[in-house]
Amino acid sequence: MTTATPLWEFVDITKAYPGVLANDKVNIRLMPGSIHGLLGENGCGKSTMIKTLSGVQQPDSGQILHDGKPVTISDPQVARDLGIATVFQEFSIVPTLSVGENIFLGNMPRSRFGVIDWGKVHADAARVLADMDVDISPETITGTLSVGEQQLVEIAKAIAMDARMIILDEPTAALGEDEIERLHELLRNMRATGTAILYVSHRLDEVERIVDEVTILRNGRVVRASGETEINVTEIVSAMVGEDIGEHYPKEKNATADVVLEAAELSTNSGVRDVSFTLHRGEVLGLGGVLGSGRTEIARALFGTDELTAGQITLNGKKVRFRREIDAIRAGLALVPENRKFDGLFFNFRASGNVTAASLGGLSRFGVLNLKAEAQATRDLIRDLEISTQAEEKTVNFLSGGNQQKIVIARWLFSDSDILILDEPTQGIDIGAKIAVYKLINKLTRAGKAIIFISSDHDELLAMSDRIAVVQQGTIARTVAASELTHDDLVRASADHSHSPSQEAYA
Amino acid sequence: MKRIFDTQLIGPFAAMVIVALIVALTTERFLNPGNLSNLSLQVSIVALIAIGSTIVIFAAGIDLSSGSMVALLTMILAQMLKFMGIPLVLALPLILFAGGLLGLFIGLITAYGRIPSFITTLAALIAFRGLALTFNNGSPIFSLDPALEPIFYGKLMGIPLPFFYLVFFYCLAAFTMNFTKLGREIYAVGGNPAAAVLTGINVRKVQTTTFVIAGFMTAVGAILMSARLNSGSPNYGQTLELQAIAAAVVGGASLAGGRGNILATLMGAMTIVIVQNGLNLNAAPSSVQNIVLGLIILLAVGIDMWRAEISALMGRVFGRSSSKQTSNIKKEA
Repeated sequence: MTTATPLWEFVDITKAYPGVLANDKVNIRLMPGSIHGLLGENGCGKSTMIKTLSGVQQPDSGQILHDGKPVTISDPQVARDLGIATVFQEFSIVPTLSVGENIFLGNMPRSRFGVIDWGKVHADAARVLADMDVDISPETITGTLSVGEQQLVEIAKAIAMDARMIILDEPTAALGEDEIERLHELLRNMRATGTAILYVSHRLDEVERIVDEVTILRNGRVVRASGETEINVTEIVSAMVGEDIGEHYPKEKNATADVVLEAAELSTNSGVRDVSFTLHRGEVLGLGGVLGSGRTEIARALFGTDELTAGQITLNGKKVRFRREIDAIRAGLALVPENRKFDGLFFNFRASGNVTAASLGGLSRFGVLNLKAEAQATRDLIRDLEISTQAEEKTVNFLSGGNQQKIVIARWLFSDSDILILDEPTQGIDIGAKIAVYKLINKLTRAGKAIIFISSDHDELLAMSDRIAVVQQGTIARTVAASELTHDDLVRASADHSHSPSQEAYA
Repeated sequence: MKRIFDTQLIGPFAAMVIVALIVALTTERFLNPGNLSNLSLQVSIVALIAIGSTIVIFAAGIDLSSGSMVALLTMILAQMLKFMGIPLVLALPLILFAGGLLGLFIGLITAYGRIPSFITTLAALIAFRGLALTFNNGSPIFSLDPALEPIFYGKLMGIPLPFFYLVFFYCLAAFTMNFTKLGREIYAVGGNPAAAVLTGINVRKVQTTTFVIAGFMTAVGAILMSARLNSGSPNYGQTLELQAIAAAVVGGASLAGGRGNILATLMGAMTIVIVQNGLNLNAAPSSVQNIVLGLIILLAVGIDMWRAEISALMGRVFGRSSSKQTSNIKKEA
């Protein structure tokens, strides 16, 4: 494979932004019929490379070779004409238009009179979707599809324009296990027809599953070149972080025998059915299952967001009933929501406002806030959790995902919660920040706090949990010690109910 | 203190000073003590109502009802004083209470009825004006009470009383927004309502509270309006709600909610009134005044939105600040 001419080749590409060398003599070879993983921590220069390849910006120096011949990708249209399709992390789909319209957006087939030929739009779209083995009608309004299906539409766009290379930036960030599998299947089919695929992801377990070659960037430089077919997660992580990180999952066992929370036959109208489990002091209880299996709904039921239609929560031996979130918070519960951008952070606040948001009552006397105490506590938490010192100088939208997530967790440290529900706490943050979150979990359990840990990353869930409750269709199918489960068990448990309608995916 | 007088005030303050300088240089009567004290009278009503409008905006709402509410409240006040024989000392607190009550009503429908505040207050804007017309067969009521006028025209140590109302209510509002739990919750609700719910903030209660504050401040404005003209009229306060929102916007409050400084609204109101005053002194017709007011609003928001482009342009023109910017980026990286 490596002896053939690469479809695309980067030769010594350099790109500098004011004050930062984003790409420093990057070389990469993309072969037809090969899935090439591009990895690295946030800020390593991945996005810069993608932008250069898709014609959004120009390199300062270096050469781009297409089929061995030098080309200039002066703008996105040129990239399209050269057969490059980019599926960005934020979709470029118009949710109010039909699937067919989206697939041919900007390139609508027209009849002789310059009017859009709707018959052809829908027929061509239907053909593309059928080739992909995707069962979506071209006339469906795109916004009504699940996130996973929208992603498929995005890829259908690429196929419709006969792309010979597809760049996928974090394609699975919002997908459930079955949808990821479907996407991978599609990519394998495309690989078989000779398409070159550049695959950017933070999820190392899936990189291992699908990628043929890998290039790892660090600080704008290639630290591990393409063509090394041996792909090993531990090695990748070390290469990305730039040091031997030792244990990728630094699990500490702090579980005790004391029961702090007991849920008995909880049900809600949002799809939770007869959920029962116990949670011990110092324990990490993992909730496994697919996106849409009801894990987030269980969290919401515990936190008083969704009303219980049946069942009983017992906290430290006392029966409790949470009518609203504030009741749960006062009782010592905390929820780090799945989507920190939409449900977690106040982007109009600096770190301090975010840290104290759940504890304003305790921070104030007669309604007046103790700003000194707030400033002091924030400084301490920024130091303890190794949050960027920029956090208190600017509003939090300027911070990296990892720092943002630490701030959301800091909120519940400040409120001194005893039971933390972490819903996908490491989603979309880089390896270094993930490890920081794992260490934080250890610190919390060491202090006797209990954690309910929801994650779609099976490796992480297996490694960091003491016990795992497998969630299927809104109920806990079984609860077992994490050491007794394997990655395959979880995948299989997830796949058992892959046909259940996915609710989370529509959120 | 650092918290109140932050960088958000620099822009509106600079705008106010520049506008005042221009008017002062082109209009000789502008700096007369008489004119300046007249200015504080002129700005008082809109600036006091703008406190409420701004706080509603901080919580990501909008209040279009204040102008009509002023008319309705002046008619209720006039009715009480003229025809019901209720003494002034009792009538005034009742009006403040009525304003708060109307605000509560709007707030409850908005927050608990889940109707956008643009709609509820638009409905109130129309309905309150109609309600005001049901009093006294729709005619204004004059000569209410001799003790009413001094509330607006009275002076303390030679300074018009409305100046003290402004100082008092803006201090109170700034304190509330920057130092209290309620203020923080208002910013939180405006910044991210979903996150506010998950941190245990009672979002609907906070939203409702902002409308109660707005109704109360509108009542304060209505009392001053009645005192100024010693009358009540269903025609008072037309477009006052828009001027109050304009003051907030010129002061830099984000209509998306969560961002802004309440003191900047006072500067926004001052800027608008100084321009109007300058045009008045130069005998410009009201048509010109409205055109200028429209342009000021556009310019104020435009400058805010194009801040990055403007500073880049400045950098190219003066060749200095651009290098400074680069070093800033370097630090962050």
